[in-house]
Amino acid sequence: MRATPVRRAWPWLLGFGALLVLPLITSNAYHRYLLTIILINVILAVGLNIVKGFAGQVTVGHIALAAIGAYTSAALSAYYGVPFWLALPGAMLAAGLAGVMIGIPSFRLEGAYLALATLGLAESVRIYFSATDYFGASIGFGDIPPPFIGGYAINTHLSYYYLVMPLALAGIYFSFAILRSDIGRSFQALREDPLAASVSGINVRKYKLLAFLISALYAGCAGSLQAHLSPGFIHPNNYTIVEMVTLLLMVVLGGIGHIWGGIIGAVLVTIVYDLTRDYYQYQLAIFGMIIVLTVTYMPKGIGGIIDRLFAERRFNARRKASAEKSNAA
Amino acid sequence: MLLEVKGFSKQFGGLAAISNVDFSVKKGEIRGLIGPNGSGKSTLFNLISGVYTPDKGRISLDGEDISGLEPHEIARRGIARTFQLLRLFGQMTVLENLLVGHHAHIRYSAPAAIFGLPNVWAEETRVKDEMMDLLSFIGLADYAGMPAGELSGGQRRLLTIGRAIAMRPKILLLDEPAAGLSPVNVDNLLRLIVSLKERYGLTLVVIEHILKVVMDTCETVTVLEHGEKIAEGPPAKIKDDPRVVEAYLGKEMSDAEVQAFLKAS
Ligand SMILES: Nc1ncnc2c1ncn2[C@@H]1O[C@H](COP(=O)(O)OP(=O)(O)OP(=O)(O)O)[C@@H](O)[C@H]1O
Ligand SMILES: [Mg+2]
Repeated sequence: MRATPVRRAWPWLLGFGALLVLPLITSNAYHRYLLTIILINVILAVGLNIVKGFAGQVTVGHIALAAIGAYTSAALSAYYGVPFWLALPGAMLAAGLAGVMIGIPSFRLEGAYLALATLGLAESVRIYFSATDYFGASIGFGDIPPPFIGGYAINTHLSYYYLVMPLALAGIYFSFAILRSDIGRSFQALREDPLAASVSGINVRKYKLLAFLISALYAGCAGSLQAHLSPGFIHPNNYTIVEMVTLLLMVVLGGIGHIWGGIIGAVLVTIVYDLTRDYYQYQLAIFGMIIVLTVTYMPKGIGGIIDRLFAERRFNARRKASAEKSNAA
Repeated sequence: MLLEVKGFSKQFGGLAAISNVDFSVKKGEIRGLIGPNGSGKSTLFNLISGVYTPDKGRISLDGEDISGLEPHEIARRGIARTFQLLRLFGQMTVLENLLVGHHAHIRYSAPAAIFGLPNVWAEETRVKDEMMDLLSFIGLADYAGMPAGELSGGQRRLLTIGRAIAMRPKILLLDEPAAGLSPVNVDNLLRLIVSLKERYGLTLVVIEHILKVVMDTCETVTVLEHGEKIAEGPPAKIKDDPRVVEAYLGKEMSDAEVQAFLKAS
């Protein structure tokens, strides 16, 4: 079955339509705010899935890339009057560069060692922001202007949702496009066997960096969106190891490398994170434990369950078809 | 000469895995590479494909010096190989494994892929059709959508050969392609390898323990022992060479190998 342009487009249009009406179901401003946060986290999770899930690079530096995006965007717009529409690509560029630097250790390190190296880099980024007055140090960076369209400020929860939603949807679309292309296959090949990938003609280092770069662009975009979200305030505490573990949980719970799983993971974890906000001191322990339990007992996560359901349906359909064929014969 | 190796040497700690080996292969040839366990056959493949860098020696392909290049650069210049331990991408589908092999020939830019532009779909359709052809040829078309890790042992071995051929190489290095196959399957595999060679205009180097395979299929055989080349020539001459007989009847040889060798002679 060949996918025509129309057949390719309609699920996306349908999704877009559903997401257009979604925030109108509730008139509660907080719920609309939560929807926006969920979508920003979806961007983060989908991006992390590319480097971690597709390409198998165990990075714990993703949250620092979001921080770099957030602070770049904040400084550009608050200090230089750069409009959001330019600050956003600026933030993505800065995060992208940092992502490539975080990716360089992956040439020599794997698994837990790579995690440690990226964790070190990420923590130094956070400490840098929390110790630099220019970025508000430990007080935080405030008065970040909202995005403007002409004279209209995007500073309500509803309007901001409509800014974030198309970006999140585009991010999801791009990650599917990547996964189904030669780039996605190259990522998976280097995840499964870097040596076999390289003798198949894949420049393993180049593709590792590309994975880090692409996922960093997602992080930079999410960071910029966090910064300009009303009330326009960011703080180093938004980018700690707890946030990183939360982000990891989204991807792990969703099923590493599974795009839909990661999205569902982002939705669930953001809601749970929000509900347990009053128990901040326990979150790290609880989320860490859920990660361990998921990896041990449900290594394919929610994505694995989805795949099983679909595989079963396909299998049943095929069995029915072949039964009918043998009946006819 | 298509492939020309001059004076390759490789040490592991104190062990000379390959010492001063010359190895030249003509275009269109099927070369056999034999030798007892641990004689350095796989190491020679690893050196040729750039997986290991030699301590000494040079290599050229089609007249171009490719010494010191990285594995992916060597692959792109036309050397493909399989691994003794297969090294398939087990979680990827059978078709995807071939598509990875075809990586160097897929023509669209990274931005086009990320944006999912129509030229990407067109190219994907073209290469998928081409790879399905290859899959049919090696008899795995029915498994195209199955994860490679779920294939049987023999099918996995076939798939590694397919993945290497998907690279459209000038020369293909097969590391024990018949290992673990039943005699019937070995015969089928041999026929397939010869027909693949014809169809894709390949030059082949085949490492094989089953001597019958080498003796029946190859025009020239190179024999390694303790990392040194001890003989090279047509199979009929090789099997009477006293050094070869000694190497094979020496203490490294298992009962099965003796049987195989006697059957071949
Ligand atoms: N990466 C490595 N590190 C250390 N020693 C190695 C390495 N690779 C190979 N060797 C050693 O080099 C020697 C040659 O090994 P090689 O795998 O090339 O033999 P082979 O002829 O392919 O044997 P077999 O028939 O068992 O596959 C062996 O003694 C082996 O232990
Ligand atoms: Mg070997």
